[in-house]
Amino acid sequence: MANNDKIDRNLNGSEAIAEAIFQEMQQDENTILIGEDVGKCGGVFGASRNCFSEFGENRVRDMPISEMTFTGMGVGMAMSGLRPIIEIMFADFLGVCLEQIYNAIGKIHYMSGGAVKMPIVVKTAAGNIGSAAQHSQCLWGTLAHLPGLKIVVPSSLYDHKGLMASAIRSNDPVIFFEHKELLLKRARSFLSNPIVPQNTYTVPIGKAAKPRIGSDITLVTLSYSVELALKSAYEVAKEGIDVEIIDLRSLVPLDIETVLQSVRKTQRLLVVDEDYQSFGVSGEIITRVVENIDPTSLRQIKRHAVPDVPIPAALSLEQVVVPNYDSIKNMLIMMAKGP
Amino acid sequence: MNQIERFKAMVEMRFFDEACLEGVPTMEIHGELHTGIGQEAISAGLLGHLKNSDALVSTHRNHYHALIKGVNPYRLMSEIFEKKTGICQGFGGHMHPFSLKQNFSATGIVGQSLPVALGYAYAFKMRKEDSLAIGVIGDGAANHGTFHETLNIAGAWKLPLLVLVENNGYGISVPISKVLATETIAERAKSYSAWGKCVNGDDPDIVSEAVEEAVSHIRSNQGPAILEAVCNRFRGHYEGDTDHYRSKTEKQNMLKGDPITTYSKKLLSLKVLTENEIQNIFQTSKQKMFGLLKRVRGEKMPLPETALNYIFCEKTDG
Ligand SMILES: Cc1ncc(C[n+]2csc(CCOP(=O)(O)OP(=O)(O)O)c2C)c(N)n1
Repeated sequence: MANNDKIDRNLNGSEAIAEAIFQEMQQDENTILIGEDVGKCGGVFGASRNCFSEFGENRVRDMPISEMTFTGMGVGMAMSGLRPIIEIMFADFLGVCLEQIYNAIGKIHYMSGGAVKMPIVVKTAAGNIGSAAQHSQCLWGTLAHLPGLKIVVPSSLYDHKGLMASAIRSNDPVIFFEHKELLLKRARSFLSNPIVPQNTYTVPIGKAAKPRIGSDITLVTLSYSVELALKSAYEVAKEGIDVEIIDLRSLVPLDIETVLQSVRKTQRLLVVDEDYQSFGVSGEIITRVVENIDPTSLRQIKRHAVPDVPIPAALSLEQVVVPNYDSIKNMLIMMAKGP
Repeated sequence: MNQIERFKAMVEMRFFDEACLEGVPTMEIHGELHTGIGQEAISAGLLGHLKNSDALVSTHRNHYHALIKGVNPYRLMSEIFEKKTGICQGFGGHMHPFSLKQNFSATGIVGQSLPVALGYAYAFKMRKEDSLAIGVIGDGAANHGTFHETLNIAGAWKLPLLVLVENNGYGISVPISKVLATETIAERAKSYSAWGKCVNGDDPDIVSEAVEEAVSHIRSNQGPAILEAVCNRFRGHYEGDTDHYRSKTEKQNMLKGDPITTYSKKLLSLKVLTENEIQNIFQTSKQKMFGLLKRVRGEKMPLPETALNYIFCEKTDG
C-alpha cells in the first residue's frame, strides 16, 4: 500500500514468477520446465506464461498426469546435467510424487557422498482458496520435516520473482510453495513489497524479511498470511498495539536469528501458519525460540494455525479453521491485553 | 431401460448442472466447480445396468455418476452448495461426495478413483458377492500410474472391475493425443487380460450396449473391462477456466454436436417421442432441477462450532 504510487507494473504473483522463469531460462539453456498445463496454457495459474512460445516444446513440456514419473524424470534429468523446474499443480498432489521427492531428490546428494547434485525446483501452489479438503492444503511443514530439501515460501510480490530466480540457480533442490491467493493478487492490492523490477535479480534463500517494525508483539508468519498479518497489524495499530512482522520467506534454511532478535525486543511471540498446527512450523519456531531465549524472560508465546483438521467445504466451517484477518487481529488484541 | 428413460436422464442431468452453475457467480459455491455438461450420454448409458450394491468411484467431475447411482439429487445439490442438508453435511463439497448407501464415492485427486474401486472389487470377490465396481476416470487420468497398477491387479486376479473412461479429449488444456502412446485407451486392455472397447460416448444407446457387454463379461467372472467413451467437455475445465487453449471454431463445432439435441432428433425420427413430448421433458426436468435449487438455497450452512466434529470417529481426549 505504501508504495502504491510507485507501481508501474500491476503484476500478479504468477506473472512475477513467470518472469523469473523466463529470464532464467534465457540465461541457461539447461534449465527446463515440465508439468501439467505448463505449455500452451502457460500454467493453470499463469506462472509459466510466455515460456512455451519462447523456448519451445523441448524445454517447456506439457506432461501427462503422471506426477510420480515426471518427478522421477527430474532426477534423471538433473543427473544428466539439466536443471529441471517441475510444476506440481497443487501442493495437495505432492502426495502422488512424494516418493521421488523425499527418497531421491532430498537424499541423493547425501547418499552419493556429495558427488551428485540435484539442481531441481519443485514448484507448487499451496493454500486455501475455498476448494475443500483435497485442494486447499499448505503442507510446507510436512516437506520441511524431510532432510535435504530447501523449502521456499514467498509472500511479497518482489520476493516471488527474486526467490524463484534464486531457487532456479540453487544447486540444491528447492520445493517452492506459491500461494494461490498471491498468484492471482495484483501489485496494487499487495501490502508487502509490490514492486517487481524488470531486470533479473535474486533474493537470497534463508534470510527472513521484516515487512513491519514494531515493539509490542512479534508476529512470525509466511506466505499469504503475511498479507493478512500486515492488514491486522495496521488495524490494531489504531488501538495502540505495535506489531513487528517477520516473513520467514524460507523454512529451510530457517532464519531464526531474525526471529530471536525481535522476540528479545518484544517478549511476545505469535506464530501464524495456514498449515496444520501440530508437529509443524509453529512448534518448530517456538521450540527454537525457547532453546535460545530464557523462557522466563518471555511474556507470551502463542500460535494460530489450522487446528489439525482437513479443510471443510462449507464457507461457514472454513472460516473457523483457517487463520484469517479477523482471527489474527483478535489474537493480537488478546495478546496485547495480556502480560 | 428404454430410450425415453435415457433421454429423460440426460436432460435432468443437464439441468442439474445448469442449476449448479447458478451458485458460482453468487459465491454460494465458493470453491471450484467442474460440470459434466456435454457428457450426459455416458452416464445415461449406465442406466439399468447397475445394481444398488454395485460400487461406483468417481472423479472431480462426479455429479452425473452420483445421480445415476441413485444419490438423492436434493442432497447432492445441497452438498455442492455447502449446505448442512448435503450428503456430507457440507464437509465434503462438490469434489468429495460420499454415499455408502449407494456405494458411491469420489475423489478430487486424479487417478485415485481406480485403486478405491479395485478395493471394492476385491471385497466383492472375496465375499463371493455378485456385485461389481466401476472406477470412472477421464482420459487424462488414464496416464496415471494407478491405471496400470489397478488393471494389472484386477487382471491377475480376475476382479469384477469396470474402468469407465470418459474421454473428452482433454486433461485441462492438454489434448490427450499429445500425451498418449496409443490411438485409444481401451486398446491397452490386452495387456491386462481385460475386455476393452472404445465407443462413441455421445449416443447413450451405443454406450448402453457396450456397458451391457462389459458388465456381462465381468459378472460372468472373466475379469476386468475397460470401456472408453469418447465425448466432449462443453465448458472450461472448471468454472472460471478461460478455456483459451481451445480455438473458437473447435468449440463451435463441438457445441453443434450436443448429445442431447442429437439424441432428441434420433428419438423423434424413430418416433419414440414426439416434439411435444420432448418439450415436455425439457420443461419438467428444468422445473424439477430449478425447484431443487430453490429449496437448496433456502437451507442453512453447517454450524461453525461443528467444524472439528468428524476428525476421528472415536473419542480422542488427552
Ligand atoms: C494427481 C492430480 N494431478 C493433477 C490434478 C489437477 N487436475 C484436476 S482435473 C485434471 C485433468 C483431468 O483430466 P481428465 O482425467 O481427462 O478428466 P476431465 O477433467 O477431462 O474430466 C487435472 C490435471 C489433480 N486433481 N490430481
